[in-house]
Amino acid sequence: MIEIRFHGRGGQGAVTGVRVLATALYYEGKFTQGIPMYGTERRGAPVTSFLRVGEERINERDLVHEPDMVVILDPLLGQTVPVTDGLREGGLVLINHPRGGRDAGLGGPFKVATVDATRIAMETLRRPITNTAIIGAFAKVTGMVTIESLEKAVMKQWPGLVGEINMRAVRKAYEEANMPVDVSDIEGVKVRQLGMMDRDVSSWRLFRPEIDAEKCVGCRRCYIFCPEVAISMVDDKAQINYKHCKGCGICAEECPTEAIELKQEEI
Amino acid sequence: MAQWEVMVGNKAVAYAAKIARAGYISAFPITPQTTIVQYLSDMIANGELDAEYVTVEGELTAQASAFTASAAGVRAFTATSGPGLLYMHHPMHVTAGSRLPVVMAVVHRSVKGMQPDHSDMMAQRDTGWMMFECEHSQELLDTGIMAYKIAEDERVRLPAIFAGDGYILSYTAEPVELPPQEEVDEFLPPYQTEWPLLPEKMNQVLPFMMKQFGFGGDPQDPWKRQQKAMEEAKTVIREVNDEYGKRFGRSYGNGLVEEYMCEDADAVIVAMGTIASTARTAILNLRKEGKNIGLVKLKSFKPFPAEEFQRIGKEVKALGVVDRNISCGSGGIVFGEIRNSLYDLDERPRTLQFYAGLIGKEVKVGDIEKVAEKTMRVAEGGEAGPVVEWV
Repeated sequence: MIEIRFHGRGGQGAVTGVRVLATALYYEGKFTQGIPMYGTERRGAPVTSFLRVGEERINERDLVHEPDMVVILDPLLGQTVPVTDGLREGGLVLINHPRGGRDAGLGGPFKVATVDATRIAMETLRRPITNTAIIGAFAKVTGMVTIESLEKAVMKQWPGLVGEINMRAVRKAYEEANMPVDVSDIEGVKVRQLGMMDRDVSSWRLFRPEIDAEKCVGCRRCYIFCPEVAISMVDDKAQINYKHCKGCGICAEECPTEAIELKQEEI
Repeated sequence: MAQWEVMVGNKAVAYAAKIARAGYISAFPITPQTTIVQYLSDMIANGELDAEYVTVEGELTAQASAFTASAAGVRAFTATSGPGLLYMHHPMHVTAGSRLPVVMAVVHRSVKGMQPDHSDMMAQRDTGWMMFECEHSQELLDTGIMAYKIAEDERVRLPAIFAGDGYILSYTAEPVELPPQEEVDEFLPPYQTEWPLLPEKMNQVLPFMMKQFGFGGDPQDPWKRQQKAMEEAKTVIREVNDEYGKRFGRSYGNGLVEEYMCEDADAVIVAMGTIASTARTAILNLRKEGKNIGLVKLKSFKPFPAEEFQRIGKEVKALGVVDRNISCGSGGIVFGEIRNSLYDLDERPRTLQFYAGLIGKEVKVGDIEKVAEKTMRVAEGGEAGPVVEWV
């Protein structure tokens, strides 16, 4: 039996991705078990899901604690979540990252494969939902599942145009994925599991809102609508506390004078 | 041709209601049950299922209206979780007391939070409903179909719950075989009642209802009849489970309990639901080490298969019972039932009590291995410390 742990953020489709992959692997003649871990998720919050792949019915009903493989749908997640904890020695990591496996910020007795899933998702789906790109790369780096089985599963999940567009992401990621490289000589980033009281959500951001103080008229609309209470009013101008900003963009949407602009974060 | 699909537990439950051709569905959403009624509303909207779908204003009405539909002669289905089930408590007594074969899916959610344990169903222990516990999505689907056949049998006529652990089963995707509709139709003919509660039949029905509620006779009669039906149900459950196995190639032990690696076992552990599933791996691991231990999966909590445990109790030296519930002031409810069953044996095995998985605490293979090892030590004559343990 092969056990895989998925890390993503609410909205990237980690749960749906696992379900589609479980279906595709079933078409390959495997028995699969796709387990989401539900809690109080919201868009941007770190989420986990699990996939078990075996030859016959899988009886284990606990979560996966010592995965053979880890799949990470977000390039910055490794800074706040201990993504490689428990990974078996010689295991495999597949991470959404624009650079190669040795430059993805991960190190230890395992191999790292990469794919620039955010860019592929933006180019094909026009939104940063990275699950289908990552499963395309999964097919390439593991060889466990064929593109044909993935297509069958993707089209079952999203019949019609949505499925076709997602298949473009799958195929593109399959072509562009960087094969696993050894990182056992690299020291990985040590992260501390964040507790409930930690309020730093800055790594959740894909887009960073920036306020043009010239255009800000101090109307307080952004201050009222910000779901994270990350905006304060200083001298009647809005000011963003970036530690609390998860980059949802509601402030930019609400601003009547277009004083707030969203800029993609650099990795 | 049977069809296969990778689906979550809640979808398997929705398919059970669909394939059983439920004609009335009362729906009130509560996590983790919600997606069941969502899948069913989709099926009705797509024209795949011809049923009256009523969004009610709460679980009390969900139960009361399912009861009414069943009384009028329609196959009724509803589903709920945790606090929703508590809110149904009173009408559940009415459904069972009126001997109406409503079938309900319970997606376990603790009464103390969002996460699963069996405290919600155990609080309905004395309502007179049959209660069947499932360990995987396939079993949810199969048990849902079988539950109607058992509930509607003339010898039984009692409502039934089929249940699975919330989150662990409800949202986990795994391959499930969907039996062909025509074959299920043969297995489960349309629901028929001699006494449909319809206005034009009121004159016939009233005397029957009066009798059901115990008017004009021994006031204890309704309970007496309910208890008799529960006893009869044990036979019917075995028959239905066998027939299902013959037709569809899947059955679950004898319908009441399922024994796994119990041949020549010196000790067994007893568990329900997904804990029984995880326990299979633990037992297999210990068997490989040469330990003579087995697993008894309790599938039918009500009616409680006391005779089965008496038979097993004669064969083993110790039983370790894992309860995903607690009756504060006494203890694990399944443990209590099992000890009660064993009392009349001349030579009683040792019994040990374990609590595990309450309010969603994860139950790992290693946890069950420890439970099994302790039970084994006691079976071998050793002392294992406290008889009650929180895993």
